[in-house]
Amino acid sequence: MDTPTLHESFETVLLDPKNSRFCYEGENLTYTGNDGSFYPRVSLRRCFPLSSENTNIVVRIPDVDPERSHELGMIEDIAELDESSRESVERELHLYYVVPSILRISSIREEFGFLYWTVNTDRGPKEFVIRDSIISSTRQISKGRWLIIDINQSRYEIHNFESLDITSQNFLRRYLLL
Amino acid sequence: MDTNASLLASIPTNVLTIFEKNEGWKQELKISLATDLAPDGSFGEQWLLVDDTNLHIISHVKGETWERFNFPLEKIEDAQIEPCVGNALLRVTIEQKQHNLLHFSNEQTERFALAAHYLRQRAEKGAEVAPPDFTSEGQRCLSCGKRLLDPSLKVCPSCIKRGQVMRRLVNLARPYWGQTSFKFLMMIGLVILDLLPPYLTRILIDQVLTTQAHTEWLAWLVGGLLLIQIFRVTLVINDALLTNRISTVFTAGVREQMFAHLKKLSQEFYDRNETGRLMTRINQDTEELQGLINQMAGFIMNIVLVIGIGVVLFSMAPFLGLFVLIPAPFVLVATLYYHRRMNPHFRRYWISRWRLNSMLNTFLSGIQVVKAFGQDDQEEGRYRDLNQNALASRLRVDQAWAGFFPLISFAFGAGGLIIWYVGGRAVLAEVITLGTLMAFLSYLGMFYGPLSNMASVSQALNRFTTISQRTFEFLDEEPKVQQKPQSKMLHKVDGSIEFDGVTFGYNPFFPVLKGVSFCIEPGELIGVVGPSGAGKTTLVNLICRFYDTTSGVVRIDGMDVREIAMDELRKHIGIVLQTPFLFSGSIAQNIAYARPEASRQEIIRAAKAANAHEFISNLPEGYDTIVGEGGTGLSGGERQRISISRAILLDPKILILDEATSSVDTETERQIQKALNTLVQGRTTIAIAHRLSTLYNADRIIALEHGRIAEIGSPNQLIEQKGLFYNLVQIQSQFARLDGVPTV
Repeated sequence: MDTPTLHESFETVLLDPKNSRFCYEGENLTYTGNDGSFYPRVSLRRCFPLSSENTNIVVRIPDVDPERSHELGMIEDIAELDESSRESVERELHLYYVVPSILRISSIREEFGFLYWTVNTDRGPKEFVIRDSIISSTRQISKGRWLIIDINQSRYEIHNFESLDITSQNFLRRYLLL
Repeated sequence: MDTNASLLASIPTNVLTIFEKNEGWKQELKISLATDLAPDGSFGEQWLLVDDTNLHIISHVKGETWERFNFPLEKIEDAQIEPCVGNALLRVTIEQKQHNLLHFSNEQTERFALAAHYLRQRAEKGAEVAPPDFTSEGQRCLSCGKRLLDPSLKVCPSCIKRGQVMRRLVNLARPYWGQTSFKFLMMIGLVILDLLPPYLTRILIDQVLTTQAHTEWLAWLVGGLLLIQIFRVTLVINDALLTNRISTVFTAGVREQMFAHLKKLSQEFYDRNETGRLMTRINQDTEELQGLINQMAGFIMNIVLVIGIGVVLFSMAPFLGLFVLIPAPFVLVATLYYHRRMNPHFRRYWISRWRLNSMLNTFLSGIQVVKAFGQDDQEEGRYRDLNQNALASRLRVDQAWAGFFPLISFAFGAGGLIIWYVGGRAVLAEVITLGTLMAFLSYLGMFYGPLSNMASVSQALNRFTTISQRTFEFLDEEPKVQQKPQSKMLHKVDGSIEFDGVTFGYNPFFPVLKGVSFCIEPGELIGVVGPSGAGKTTLVNLICRFYDTTSGVVRIDGMDVREIAMDELRKHIGIVLQTPFLFSGSIAQNIAYARPEASRQEIIRAAKAANAHEFISNLPEGYDTIVGEGGTGLSGGERQRISISRAILLDPKILILDEATSSVDTETERQIQKALNTLVQGRTTIAIAHRLSTLYNADRIIALEHGRIAEIGSPNQLIEQKGLFYNLVQIQSQFARLDGVPTV
């Protein structure tokens, strides 16, 4: 059943992936449920953005005021969606979660308590600045996997320390004290 | 128009061509903003161009340029920024339908928020609205205009005017000039005393030991050396004492100034700066300043020493002096290398220790939870891991140090060897005497130390100016809520309150209260209800003038609050907050906080009125019981009743109860309610409450929703209306038995 109820409920509504359609109209992701109910603009959230990015995806009607936004339900695994819906969902998630994965570090420069990074990511080249405080600007997610948070609260990920080239590894060793 | 020209200048020609092809008017450009995210979420460019009539979104990715959206402005009803992760999106509402336009990364949020604000204003007020001024945006360096990374500074570190900061510091240090110049005299004396002994040993070797020309000088020379040592020790001790004294007194003075300034600043400042950061500024920054002053004194001493030794060395044997300089660059490089190599190790160790400590801290404060959930073993494992980590990083420090220290000593030693060889040859060739060589070698030992110390001077100097600048900026901070110079006094207050079209937002772009108007008669008891985030507390903040309104006026007794002297205003307003705050001191002092001159009788009367007298007099130390930081533990209800006594003693005409009873149990609430009932007599009272039972005797209720007044009227009226208040009551009565609410 994927008819969302208006009543407050703690039970997660699971959306049936076989009967759920997601597609784009302009930049809006639309959703059609199995009873034909149509939502012209929905927004997606990962419940576990780090540990499991393609499962437990929340579908909700967005609003700037969080009290007025409202959850339609959850897609357990996007692999179960039909292909075009899955592609739309993947695009939406890719747009919502802009967490570039660092592939190569060209340079890290330290100046007055800030680190200036020049990197190449899976989304293209980027320069960013982090506070030179290991405690507040980096998080270790698991062994060899790091999250770096810049001064604008943008996030960058190092997926696997070992798979980076030697220069990048040396930069990280020196500045992030890995 | 030159703003237009500057808007145009940044747009790539391809984008401009497409823009014009789609009937864009570049002469009437209001906004031109580039995002850094392409439609597919990779880094790329999209342009938001707004002319007089239309909004265009043009993509410009990998050499291809095309228009993605084109909306007539008159159709846009609303424009908002929606935050995402690492980025945000701009959306507009057209014919009740929302359209996502584009994504942009976090660093551009502010600019797009301005653009959205402009679009909203246009939708509301029409085409006359002035286009946004992006130059005013956010925190930029006042000097070079670059975006500021550290919002606690107003100019970026590279723009700090060293000279200016130093001059200000010197000014601040003016009261200590006498001591400071005395300190410098001592320092020069010390340097001379340092330079003397090798000179004497030279005579000792040349005239007494080797040539035996003046054997009778031996006792005199050794005596002289002893005397110098004694002098030196006394001077060193006194110098250290004086330096510490100056820096301590100086920073204590700065700290005092900072505290005095702190109390002048308005609430808005405290919102911008979290308590922790302020504490750091006042405690750590001044502490560090003190350390740095000492360090700077050391640097100056070293400079004098290096120059002094240099002069002596060159005057004794110029050619040997040159050889001394050969290892000097090596010493400097080694020192810099040391900082680069060793510092990361030290920091890594420090961080691992920090993690260990904070884990221990969490564990100890959460010990009940750990035990209750039986997770002792898991925590132990976690501690062991962190401890191992700390151990490993300590070992790495030691290893690095072990590998590095010999290198440094080699650098120092190598210089000596060169002198031994070159100087030795000179002695053999009888160009210089043995005494000169020995003196040379002992000067050399004193030379490299200060030299390597000076290599780190720039680092310390940077830190020093940054910290000083931060301190000065704090002292320069102007309170946002300013008292007018010709502010009026309130003589006899009746206690009427009027809100006249009040709009206010902590961030002006996101108003919390939107055009709120109402009138409260003197002596009325007004309940303010509404869902959280509706603006209840904000309402109160404006009455107390913790903030100034964005637009509209708040009046007390018909007088604009901005006209009233601040002390005067607050003297007539009493507040009881949700979490009572007690200062460290006795209960009596806490009750008499706002009126320290109150007599004991008055204090007891206030406590009685607040229903607090009984429990206070039962305490072993009665009214003298020390509460607050480190004091006796009182229950929430007891603390609350003390804070009510405080308000009663102040006897204000306007009383504000901000969730005064929401954190206590029903029985305590009943007692507090009894106390409050005494308190509200003859005063204008504004009570914010979650528990609606506390509002049963209110004259009127103001129900707020999304920053607007949803309804206003007596409780009975509102219940009959079946609006927001009715709904809130319904929800509560479903969750709990409401024993006080009428007609439910």
